[in-house]
Amino acid sequence: MKKNTIITVLLFSVAGLAVMTGCENKRKPGKIYMPDMTYSRAIETYAPLDSVFFTTDEKNPKGEIYYNRKPVEGSIARGELFPYTLPNDSLGYAMSAQVKNPLPPLVTKDSVEAARLFNINCAICHGAGAQGNGPLSTSGKIGAIANLTLPLYVSMTDGTMFHSIHYGKNNMGSYAGQLSRLQRWQIIQYVRTLQPKAAAAPKADSAAVAKK
Amino acid sequence: MSLNRRIFNQLSAFFLFIALFSFANTSFAADGEALFKANCANCHKPLEDYIGPMLQGARKREPNPEWAVKWVNNVNAMLETDPYAKAMLAKYNARMTQFNLKEEEITAILDYADAYKAPVPVAPAGGAAAPAEDNSLLFGILTLILAVIALILLQVNSSLRKLADEKDGILRADPVPFYRNKSYLMLGILVLFCFGGYTTINAAMGLGRMQGYQPEQPIYYSHKVHAGTNQISCLYCHGGAQDSKHANVPSVNTCMNCHKAIKEYKGEPIVREDGSAVNGTAEIQKLYAYAGWNADKKVYDQPGKPIEWVKIHNLPDHVYFNHSQHVKVGKQNCQTCHGNIQEMPEVAQFSDLSMGWCINCHRESKVDFYNKATGEGNKFYSIYEKFHNDIKAGKMDSVTVEKIGGTECQKCHY
Repeated sequence: MKKNTIITVLLFSVAGLAVMTGCENKRKPGKIYMPDMTYSRAIETYAPLDSVFFTTDEKNPKGEIYYNRKPVEGSIARGELFPYTLPNDSLGYAMSAQVKNPLPPLVTKDSVEAARLFNINCAICHGAGAQGNGPLSTSGKIGAIANLTLPLYVSMTDGTMFHSIHYGKNNMGSYAGQLSRLQRWQIIQYVRTLQPKAAAAPKADSAAVAKK
Repeated sequence: MSLNRRIFNQLSAFFLFIALFSFANTSFAADGEALFKANCANCHKPLEDYIGPMLQGARKREPNPEWAVKWVNNVNAMLETDPYAKAMLAKYNARMTQFNLKEEEITAILDYADAYKAPVPVAPAGGAAAPAEDNSLLFGILTLILAVIALILLQVNSSLRKLADEKDGILRADPVPFYRNKSYLMLGILVLFCFGGYTTINAAMGLGRMQGYQPEQPIYYSHKVHAGTNQISCLYCHGGAQDSKHANVPSVNTCMNCHKAIKEYKGEPIVREDGSAVNGTAEIQKLYAYAGWNADKKVYDQPGKPIEWVKIHNLPDHVYFNHSQHVKVGKQNCQTCHGNIQEMPEVAQFSDLSMGWCINCHRESKVDFYNKATGEGNKFYSIYEKFHNDIKAGKMDSVTVEKIGGTECQKCHY
């Protein structure tokens, strides 16, 4: 009889414990069996650094390992184009007109990818047709959104467009962190396909420049 | 008679004149509004400075009332020569686009701006929706009542039998009370065993799983507003999901792409689960503090620091999971694993991220198998000779992830 009581009490306490851990506060991550096997010992993206071993303060390491998680300066990711070096000022903006698009004309597979990237990153403001009528524009949340089909942008060179995407322009932020250099050039090529094929406009412009 | 006719003619002429005048007037005003929205609204607001100066009272601030008419059509030339234009360029640091508008069109726009009044905010209709009624309590009470009735009926039954037996003269042993009745005890133990076992196992499995985990974030960021109302693609911010193992929490720069321009929250009121209101504009101010952005001067003049978002979805270290493999190759929607994020004000973990859940999906999902005849599908799968032959022979019509080894242990545990 005594043995039975002990077994019953043990069973109920285990059940109670399990039920209680099941009803945790949803603001807390809850309990886990083996933390060592759940939380990585190696450094993972967005996991906090163990301050016993690591520091992000280069000047004051105090015997800890300095680690800032940034790529070494000057490193280029595999498959990435060479860095864009023009400075973010009016001189750099003017010089950017000379920069040529390094990519060959888009083949179908690449243009599908470029269209996808444009629709994710650009169409939210510039609209799927690049007419400056994306959801954030038509709802009036962001102003001064460029209609990329205007003659001003048809005659703008690829290099200047790249400069604006790289550093941002007016209300637009820099997309250097979101799009690789290759992707940015691809998107510019895709924008060209959205622009009206008004061969007359750029020609007239160049004629005017020649006259001057 | 002729007098009447004259009066009638005069009156009709008068009304015609009035009507003409008033029609002309309204069409003029509407013109100004339409022209403003088509040409100016991107950079100017009637009542506040935006990219450029506010338009109300512009003619009073400018050197002379005709200045605006000259300016709009000669922006590029006047920026070089006109002192007021230079001063405005220095103040707003944005060059206006040159337009080609007629004088009366420009006047109409400025008339519209001068007459513009701020719209009266409309109070939101109705309060918060009534909470859905919970029926479980009602069902519980009903069950209890039925159980009590059943117990009473059982007692009545045994009493009646006892009376009938006494009448017939049959002698029986005293009935055993129900708490010592072996069949009752057995039933009780069985129910307890089933219920206790079920909850114990469920709770034990719940250990280490974080379904429903909804931590408080440093900024009240609503996915419902961003991905729902504003239709921003998931990959705009979480672009890493298509290229790498991690979906990546966006950097502050990504937030500032839009929030350089969007300074205040004007949408529907956001309410926390405890009923308190969220001040969207104050949350945007928090973002500016992290970014070091000065919204008045439009420059980053403070040192920025990253936002320490709390990671919600966490797989144990002994599981390998790669986002790009699922998003780019598998072409899975984000919502498959993360739920209807575009409807969540605060994100909670939607799936339990258990191994059974992974395996189930791998058993059911079909890969984008390469079709040798049409050239469609993922070319990687051209190496699976046997499946190609089986499909040709009609033995199978599609290939699941499991078939190509998606449930092998070492695919995820190594």
